[in-house]
Amino acid sequence: MTGAHQAIGKSIERVGAREKVTGRARYSADIELGAPLVLKALRSGRPHAEILAINTEKALRIKGVAAVFTAMDIPGKNLTGIILKDQPILMGDKVRSIADPVALVAAETETTAEQALKAIEVDYRDLPPVFDPEKAMAEDAPKVHAKGNVMVSRTIRRGDVGSAFTRCKSIIEKTYRTTFIEHNTIEPDAGAGFVDSDGTLVIYASTQNPHYDHKDVVTLLGLADEKVRIIQAATGGGFGSKLDLNVQGFIGLALYHLRRPVRYVYTREEAYLGTAKRHPLSMRMKTGADENGRLLAMQATIICDTGAYASYGPAVANRAPVHATGPYAIENVDIRSYGVYTNNPFCGAMRGFGTPQIAFAHESQIDLHALDLGLDPLAMRMLNAHRVGSTTATGQVFSASVGIGDCLRAIQPHYDEARKGWTAAPAAPYKKRGVGIGAMWYGIGNTGVQNPSTARVEMDRDGSVTLFTGCADIGQGSSTVLSQIAAEILGLAPQAVRLVTADTKFTTNAGATSASRQTYISGNAVKQAAEQLADVLKTEAMNKLRVAKSALMFDGGCALVIGQPDQCVSFAELAKRIKSKGASLSWQGYFDPETVPLDPQTGQGVPYATYAFAAQLALVTVDVLTGEVAVERVVAAHDVGKAIHPESVIGQICGGVAMGLGFALMEEFEPGKTLSMKDYHIPTCADMPEVVPIIVESPEPSGPFGAKGVGEPALIPTAPAILNAIADALGVRLYALPANLERVLAASIAAGHFKPAP
Amino acid sequence: MDASSVRIRFTLNGQPRSAEFPADTTALKLIRDVLKLKGTKEGCGIGECGACTVIVDGKAVNSCLMLAAQLDGRTVQTIEGLGSPEALHPLQEAFVKEHAVQCGFCTPGLLMSTKALLDINPAPTRAEISKAIAGNLCRCTGYRHIFASIEDAAHTRKEQT
Amino acid sequence: MSRLHYIRPETLAEALDHLDRHGSRNRILAGGTDLVVDLRNGDARPEFILDVSRLHELKGIDVTPEGVSVGAGVTLSEIQSSDVLERHAPALRKCSFTFASRQVRNVATIGGNVAHCSPCGDTVPPLVIHEARAVLASRRGLREVLVEDIASGPYACSLPPDELILRFILKPAADVTFADFQKIGRRRELVIARINAAAMARQEPDGRLSFFRFSLGSCTPTPHRMPEVESCLDGRVPTAELVWEAGRLLAERTIAITGRRPSTIYKEAAIHGLLVRMLHPLVTS
Repeated sequence: MTGAHQAIGKSIERVGAREKVTGRARYSADIELGAPLVLKALRSGRPHAEILAINTEKALRIKGVAAVFTAMDIPGKNLTGIILKDQPILMGDKVRSIADPVALVAAETETTAEQALKAIEVDYRDLPPVFDPEKAMAEDAPKVHAKGNVMVSRTIRRGDVGSAFTRCKSIIEKTYRTTFIEHNTIEPDAGAGFVDSDGTLVIYASTQNPHYDHKDVVTLLGLADEKVRIIQAATGGGFGSKLDLNVQGFIGLALYHLRRPVRYVYTREEAYLGTAKRHPLSMRMKTGADENGRLLAMQATIICDTGAYASYGPAVANRAPVHATGPYAIENVDIRSYGVYTNNPFCGAMRGFGTPQIAFAHESQIDLHALDLGLDPLAMRMLNAHRVGSTTATGQVFSASVGIGDCLRAIQPHYDEARKGWTAAPAAPYKKRGVGIGAMWYGIGNTGVQNPSTARVEMDRDGSVTLFTGCADIGQGSSTVLSQIAAEILGLAPQAVRLVTADTKFTTNAGATSASRQTYISGNAVKQAAEQLADVLKTEAMNKLRVAKSALMFDGGCALVIGQPDQCVSFAELAKRIKSKGASLSWQGYFDPETVPLDPQTGQGVPYATYAFAAQLALVTVDVLTGEVAVERVVAAHDVGKAIHPESVIGQICGGVAMGLGFALMEEFEPGKTLSMKDYHIPTCADMPEVVPIIVESPEPSGPFGAKGVGEPALIPTAPAILNAIADALGVRLYALPANLERVLAASIAAGHFKPAP
Repeated sequence: MDASSVRIRFTLNGQPRSAEFPADTTALKLIRDVLKLKGTKEGCGIGECGACTVIVDGKAVNSCLMLAAQLDGRTVQTIEGLGSPEALHPLQEAFVKEHAVQCGFCTPGLLMSTKALLDINPAPTRAEISKAIAGNLCRCTGYRHIFASIEDAAHTRKEQT
Repeated sequence: MSRLHYIRPETLAEALDHLDRHGSRNRILAGGTDLVVDLRNGDARPEFILDVSRLHELKGIDVTPEGVSVGAGVTLSEIQSSDVLERHAPALRKCSFTFASRQVRNVATIGGNVAHCSPCGDTVPPLVIHEARAVLASRRGLREVLVEDIASGPYACSLPPDELILRFILKPAADVTFADFQKIGRRRELVIARINAAAMARQEPDGRLSFFRFSLGSCTPTPHRMPEVESCLDGRVPTAELVWEAGRLLAERTIAITGRRPSTIYKEAAIHGLLVRMLHPLVTS
């Protein structure tokens, strides 16, 4: 198949790379709009309080302050959120976290804006806060939102857990915990805007979802759709945090009232304070396996701390239980999940939506069973791994593209070698070596809900092609991949496809750049649009060249007869002929994966049309005297269906391993204490192991050229693999992330390794 | 903070320049806001990410940790002085070819750190590269393609000389 | 509000004159890597910034009759590439390799690191094991003070505001057979020390240590030599058991200074472990 493709499977130059290496790419903070007013929000600094009064008079008297806005100034509906609308952009009645904005200043300079913030007087009446989600679930807990603190819950039930456990030889029950994690995109959030000559509010933003931004800004301001235009500026990473309305609403509000250019560039400190975090999860998990190691039952309770607002919390609370079994067939499950409000920072989407957390639990459980039953951890995974024909916890039966077995087989030789060579060889004094495996599955797209994408492919009269997509390329490379897909269908070089992306004036909704969905979903929408155009072109070429459509192909901007390349007609000529007949050269594609909503009582349904799979192997060295962990090597096998751009897939895998390593070992966001990048550590190049990426292609019939997704899967198995390797090295397991110095040294001491070398 | 103004002369990307700014202006602010060279990025403001790296007298420095006044009489190179989209510097060429750029926000800083390294050490070992770029955080790539680009650029340079 | 002035003196005399007049309203800029952060965060609000980075009196690494002289304005990168220090103060040179990042090392100075008085300052333990003295200048003249005595607490500098550190004088590591600097942090590079430590020793052919110096950083309000630990090892053969005992003693002495706090749970064992790991190459069975 691969040989037949001319654009797919090729690691072409990435769209935008030249602009980025030369510093010409314009990120939001780089956009020059005359002399814009500077925006800054006053944040509450207290976790839970009623707002009694806000007095802005003193601030307004400061020279250079153009305006101070409060909730009263919002003309439309002051509630945002992509799933549940529960987050005002400026708080009117109460604040629910230390980051909650209560007023927005527009001033001539940064310094003046800072002064104005200090001059705003807010009277609060403090309310008792709640920070522990389990406590927040109690009846008498302080209510973060009037409707109660349990934001959402989800049950997944199948089979008979009770009787299945009686048939188990090995039963393991443990509680796992993870912490707040900061996305730490290297670009802090930023945006800028102006009012166009026709009165449209034009907002440039660092965003993963311009069409959602548009909807919420329009609602916030009570404007007609065409009066707001969102343009995605070059975006310096997202990982989920730029799915929320961060600065976009503030910019819209200021433009609405002031009608002059404004900008809002978060400092790193404000980006830490004011944007979403990864949900800390507590996961109580009980699993049982028979004497052969076959997993028979799982019972789990998952509590997701969503903090003050929902953001993508419902998606996390839904996805975590659906993925709780891991990539294994378990017939009997009883899983409950709760998304709970607290007065912590709000938690939202972060690469994996709860799956990285739950994978830590299921991958620890399977290793514990293997140890308990005296089985090899890799063999036990292989035995239980999903395959075509097996049934998931939601009752979905796999019909194709189940690459977990292939991924496990791909790491097998590395695993065998590590067991023989690495762990068997004597380590340096006071060092222990370990090997661990992490496996995962990941449903592509949103969970059991519609999440369509659209795209338009247009041909001009000169035969040139433009792809219009609302898909935000945040660095992962979607623009490149989508242009390859269009180019493949139309027989063009990908560079010949002009791109118009993520501008709500010119593009239609492609949905969020999240859930690893753009290659699969937007890729299909682009493919469909391009195929419709291709069909029109071929119909016209058929008439002109007098051969059947099936005898035609495209190459280099021409339609030609297969095997007779001299019999050809250029796209330009075809375009003219089609146009003259009044037919369209502009085609819209639409794709929405086939899913069946999950039953509210049992969680049965088809949450995703397809799944990505992966298995990673980690080799670690643990210093038993200090708790330092060095990850020496990671072998990462990922079933992506089809790699449209193999080097981008490898880039995602290696970047995911880095983020997973940070999640495993060093990243920990402490609300109120983690203030700047001095306090939060992401991996440097020196922390990175040698990564051996292995691309597994188990084609997905419904995917564009068989492709699925890789963005989130890349990260998910890494922390479990590292934690299993640490447990292998020390003989003692950690049940909380990160495996920081403190926890690892405590484990080393508990294991009896903290003693003089023999 | 109110600040008296400072006037400096320096060489920027090969051109003599003079500039006047308040005393508390950082080199980063001078470059981005006064001189309007937007290729140098601010990622943290406190020297913890390296996105603002520029070269001063041949050495990579965090421009956020330097007062603009300290640049008086110095020779400064920013990403704008390296190459253009039409005529890339070999190092930029290598970053493009080896797919080292994802979101690209760390890229200008990384390129400046790397250039400072290769200017004094044309054939660095992997460990030497690591030492030179460990102060440039990247959240996207896991650094693999970045190492590959730098090794490729060093190799190409070696072959050409 | 008073205005901020940036002053870059041409001569040392000018600098000292300025400090004499405005010392209390002044902050000295050597590299600026700490000061510029303090200015940004509002932790420093001086009226004057005195940029001493170009004074030649603060430059240079030399062997002098008094000892090894390291100018206060010497950058960490200069320390890293110094053969003189590799010979005479190898632990100091070693600390420069993991000091912040290349970009910071290119600018940050040893004088600034010492005067900033961070308990985690990486150059301090290596200076302390060399019994380093700072040479201070003011209009009142020159004087010397032990580096160990410069910080009176975390980020609290005991030097009067009219004084400028010119250089450090280190006792050279004569006939030393072992020197090391190690630190523990949350990642491998770009790391603030959770614990750092410097040691040097002379080991006789029979295994006995005839000289031993050790200093711990990041754990006590100011980095210190640890005399009890030094005397525990000095003159003895460092067996695995003895080194283990020295580690335990180090942890005990440290807690005696700091009292028990939440971080002690980790630090007690890790300080112990770090010393054991560091001295492992000396262990003689």
